[in-house]
Amino acid sequence: MITFTINGLKASAERGTTILEAARFLGFPIPTLCHMEGLTPYGACRLCIVEIGEGENAKLVTSCTYPVEEGLKVRTASRRVVRARKMILELLLASSPQSKTIQDLAAAHDVRQQRFRQEYEDCILCGLCVRMCKEQMVAGAIGFRGRGEDRSVGTPFDIKSEKCRLCGGCIYVCPVCQLRCTYTEPEKAICGGCANLSPPCIEKDRFNDIMCYMDPCVACEIKENEE
Amino acid sequence: MARLTSLEEFLSFQEQVRNNRERDLPCLVICAGTGGQAAGSNDIIRIVKRHILERGLQEKLKLRITGCQGFCELNPFIIVEPGRNLYPWVKMEDVGRVIDAALQGMVLEDLLFRESEHYPCQHCKDDIQFFKKQKRLILGKNELVDPIRIFDYIQEGGYTALADVLEKNDPEWIIDEIKRSGLRGRGGAGFPTGRKWELARAAGDGTGRKFIICNADEGDPGAYMDRGLLEGNPHAVLEGMMIAGLAIGAAEGIIYVRNEYPLAIKHATIAIRQARDLGILGKNILDTGFDFDLEIVRGAGAFVCGEETALIRSIEGKTGEPKQRPPYPVQKGLWGRPTCINNVETLCNVPLIINEGADVYSRIGLPGNSGTKIFSLVGKVKNTGLVEVPMGTTIKEIVFEIGGGSIGKAAVKAVQTGGPSGGCIPTAMFDLPIDYESLARAGSIMGSGGMIVMDENTCMVDIAKYYMNFLKSESCGKCYTCRKGTQRLYELLDDITAGRGTLQHLDLLKELAEVVADTTMCGLGQTAPNPVLSTLRYFHEEYIEHIVDKKCRAGVCKDLVGAPCQAACPIGTEAWRYVAHIARGEYEEAYKAIREENPFPSVCARVCDHKCEEKCRLGQSGDHPVAIRALKRFVADNVDPSVYQPRRAVEKKSAKVAVIGAGPGGLTAAHYLSLMGYPVTVFEKDSKPGGMLFSCIPEYRLPREILNKEIEALLDENVTLMCGHTFGVDFTINSLFEEGYQAVFIALGAQKGRKLELEGEDAAGAFPAVEFLKAYNQNGEQLARGRVGVIGGGNSAVDAARTALRQRGVGEVTIFYRRTREEMPAFEEEIEAALEEGIRLETLVTPVRINTADGNITGVEFQRNRLGEMDSSGRRRPLPIEGSDFKQSLDTLIIAISEQPDVNSFTQDPADAIEVTQWNTLKVDEHTLACSRPGVFAGGDVVTGPNTVVDAIAAGKKAAVMIDRYVRGEELRQVRQPRLPKVYIEPCATGEEGPTKRVKPPCNVYEKGGDELVEVEQTLSEEDARREALRCLRCDLEFTAPEENGSDSVQTGAAITVEAAR
Repeated sequence: MITFTINGLKASAERGTTILEAARFLGFPIPTLCHMEGLTPYGACRLCIVEIGEGENAKLVTSCTYPVEEGLKVRTASRRVVRARKMILELLLASSPQSKTIQDLAAAHDVRQQRFRQEYEDCILCGLCVRMCKEQMVAGAIGFRGRGEDRSVGTPFDIKSEKCRLCGGCIYVCPVCQLRCTYTEPEKAICGGCANLSPPCIEKDRFNDIMCYMDPCVACEIKENEE
Repeated sequence: MARLTSLEEFLSFQEQVRNNRERDLPCLVICAGTGGQAAGSNDIIRIVKRHILERGLQEKLKLRITGCQGFCELNPFIIVEPGRNLYPWVKMEDVGRVIDAALQGMVLEDLLFRESEHYPCQHCKDDIQFFKKQKRLILGKNELVDPIRIFDYIQEGGYTALADVLEKNDPEWIIDEIKRSGLRGRGGAGFPTGRKWELARAAGDGTGRKFIICNADEGDPGAYMDRGLLEGNPHAVLEGMMIAGLAIGAAEGIIYVRNEYPLAIKHATIAIRQARDLGILGKNILDTGFDFDLEIVRGAGAFVCGEETALIRSIEGKTGEPKQRPPYPVQKGLWGRPTCINNVETLCNVPLIINEGADVYSRIGLPGNSGTKIFSLVGKVKNTGLVEVPMGTTIKEIVFEIGGGSIGKAAVKAVQTGGPSGGCIPTAMFDLPIDYESLARAGSIMGSGGMIVMDENTCMVDIAKYYMNFLKSESCGKCYTCRKGTQRLYELLDDITAGRGTLQHLDLLKELAEVVADTTMCGLGQTAPNPVLSTLRYFHEEYIEHIVDKKCRAGVCKDLVGAPCQAACPIGTEAWRYVAHIARGEYEEAYKAIREENPFPSVCARVCDHKCEEKCRLGQSGDHPVAIRALKRFVADNVDPSVYQPRRAVEKKSAKVAVIGAGPGGLTAAHYLSLMGYPVTVFEKDSKPGGMLFSCIPEYRLPREILNKEIEALLDENVTLMCGHTFGVDFTINSLFEEGYQAVFIALGAQKGRKLELEGEDAAGAFPAVEFLKAYNQNGEQLARGRVGVIGGGNSAVDAARTALRQRGVGEVTIFYRRTREEMPAFEEEIEAALEEGIRLETLVTPVRINTADGNITGVEFQRNRLGEMDSSGRRRPLPIEGSDFKQSLDTLIIAISEQPDVNSFTQDPADAIEVTQWNTLKVDEHTLACSRPGVFAGGDVVTGPNTVVDAIAAGKKAAVMIDRYVRGEELRQVRQPRLPKVYIEPCATGEEGPTKRVKPPCNVYEKGGDELVEVEQTLSEEDARREALRCLRCDLEFTAPEENGSDSVQTGAAITVEAAR
């Protein structure tokens, strides 16, 4: 067993457990888009970042790929993590505002606007479909093509794959093309009406004694900064 | 080649090879690296071989063809041993002479390398500034070794280190030695190599395969040191890999090299084959039981494959994209086995460390950053090439001392280190010692060692955009923040360079850049925002200029600049437009285009410093710029000014405006205010208007008839000229306001000569240049006599010298300047004309004492200078040479070191005071020209110090606009809109004659005793003018050319012609 701390809480897990698995087991929420149980961790969406290490050596890593280490100190919602996560959500919103999954995540993280040129892309290249097809359906009909801004998911030369059994697994796991947000004007669809999970202590000072699972708590960090 | 089967055999073989060298024969060394071959060294090699064969010189002359030697600027070049004489840019016809000289042991001074045109030649390669400051421990071998001959390498001590470690057969010792040497990865991240080897050695279960990989996937734009090494000395890489293999317990090595390096692949392939044939590579090497073999894997050219996890996947035959670490490659790398990846340069350091010992090596460079580093110095720098210096050398030393500074007149602005994901470091930080930590602190990275020098013609926002464009297509696209982040960063930068930027863009840019750096998977993404962050940090004002002022000072961002010639002109003259009209023969149209913006076309046609030509795209693309000033002169001399009638305001305004000083600035302001309907009074201290134009610019450059005509045309019924009225004596600012003037424009100029601060400066026969020129131009007084010395290097120094030469009783005229001719601020054509007239030029001298007798000048004592370090202006500072003093007897001494405004009268009376800067100029708001006192504006030399005519005119124009706004109670400062070309002028069909050279105007050379007033430079002929105008690249067409479907949004040239005909 490996012992480590997560948000100040001492914990232990078996060797090979990822931070994400450990955190979720212990009840610390970490958002993900490209992670799914049963598929190889991929580390593409970067939403599951957590902060490890201390002082100058502190850095952000993707919790879905990082195995717990002896003595590791993990913060799942530090100021640095939240700031980065919000920016990632803003980027996601700017490119795929029609996804309800993304809209919900943005609302849950209090992202209220996006400041980039609005795009409507149906794919965030999370790779869930590719892994689903290969690892669970054992077909390998689709894969990635191109690099950089030209990267896309598809079949070689866009020819229909003989290996595809039309199982629909790829569509089932897709976080973008499933569950479209139904708001009337997609670019303004950052309503937050579907979910709002921001901790109450952020807005109200008198929740000083609330049991907080975050160490350091975002709200406390903000408050400290203001003082 | 017989296979060597034991260590003893190898050692005796090496002894044999080393004894065989024929050092006494002269030898021609020719670089045939990629750079050399591109510059034509293959032709030179062919000719040399033909000479050797035809003349039977096989026994008398040797030829060595090497890989890249570093000084790529000089290719193709020949080095002749034993003297190591370097002949740069060898032409095929000179080869015979070089061979003859080599055979006779002589040197050809005319072909030898010179630092600069006016410098003496350098006999030995090592004396050349570029090489002198380097420490070429690794790169130096390239000159001695023919990369396809293993014997050459062995002769130079190659494989000694391998033999040494094989004999010891102690991997722990090797790792310890490398650790003690302090060697760190040269690929960029600077991870300690010894530590990596230790981890790799410890990894695995001790039975299975391990790999050592040489990373030669060098993809940074502008970096080629790894190519240089692999091409020029492949055996050193092999030897390094074998030692690494022995150290970590790997029996297999892979060189991962980009397919774009065919020569490197070829040389490495040959080297591997030769090493195998000789028994240095393969099974049971030299009977020591050590197995090691190598193969080459060619990369398909993805930038990201330089990242180690992506590189491994690429070797495995998968898509080259990184994997999240951990596990690190040393634990689980290629095929899941422990893999150690080192950069080419790191591996080349290994044999050196084993041979020299870790202690010796660790003393090179800085503690913690030991050894040397190779940089590829490219960009706007004189000496481009590969540079090897000890760690801790400052950027300044590399750029200015080794690189020789800026390539042209524009000063160096920044250096970008570390390739596309490095940061830009500004000149102010050039004292930064180069090591991994300092660079990281400065917001850049060591990277593989690219070093791109940028000058003032580089726009930093555009540079950031360029790299972001590169990175957004080279990002593998796997992780979201890298792929989308670089795209969005590019988008934001594109908005800014296109004039669509807002200040919110800047905040978002910074925020996003920081998040991208923080959250991406591999090194590519983590360093990708560096160009943005570092330019935001050091060149913030350029971003602000792009956003707020809609201005790109470097003249690069085309949506803000339009045509660079127009953007460069302080008064915004549409140079492209009149040049286009001249090409079509429409001279009146051309005149109108000039006169629209410039009330002094004939004056500027003669004395303008033509900033337009500096920024001309033709000039920046390697050719000479279009001779815009000479073309303006052609038009101004051939067209009747009355073709242009300025638009006047119909209603007269009642507010009176006073202008102090009737120089170009004052007259321009008066003219434009008069056109707006204001009654203007111009006060002038001298008896005639014209200011410096009249009193300081000599008649041979600017005939008075032309000047007077141009001034008279500006004095209309709204303008009252009051000559002989001195500010501070006859009137004050207060008295003007009391008399009912509502606004005052001060354009007094800078007329007080600066002093040398030496005793005897006031003796008879010594004059400040302004005083000397004024006396002659205003009153015809000839103050110079006998031997004349002029101290200074600017235009007024040259003017004074040439004026003195034209005076009676003057014998010899000499200009004394403290730096070299290249650094003289005077116009090059003026210096040339002065020399042609017989004026002597003495450079690198500083006056130290003025000798007088009976109150008269008898001479000056000078001290000679040598050029020292670069100063902040990027020019090398002159340093005195002790004991080099010499006496120069002179009868007249003219001091032309600089001028400054006389601002005493502004500060004397506190009730009437105007704020003054520490440089004795008036303090104004640069955007509005408003002084500290409301209603008072100032411009021209009195604000800027000595400056050009066109800048004074620009100040006058601006003042007129500002005064108008002030009087009408409007907000002074307004948002600037970029002025883009709007009028379409159909380009002429050009003939088949091909490119022509820049025209030179005909000149009358003054000879002593001739007519001193005759204008030296003459007008171009019509034929020359039209041909010159045709050279223009017509940058305007990018904005004005009608679309194919006949868009009518632009005015057409035909329409203008019709309008003109009416």
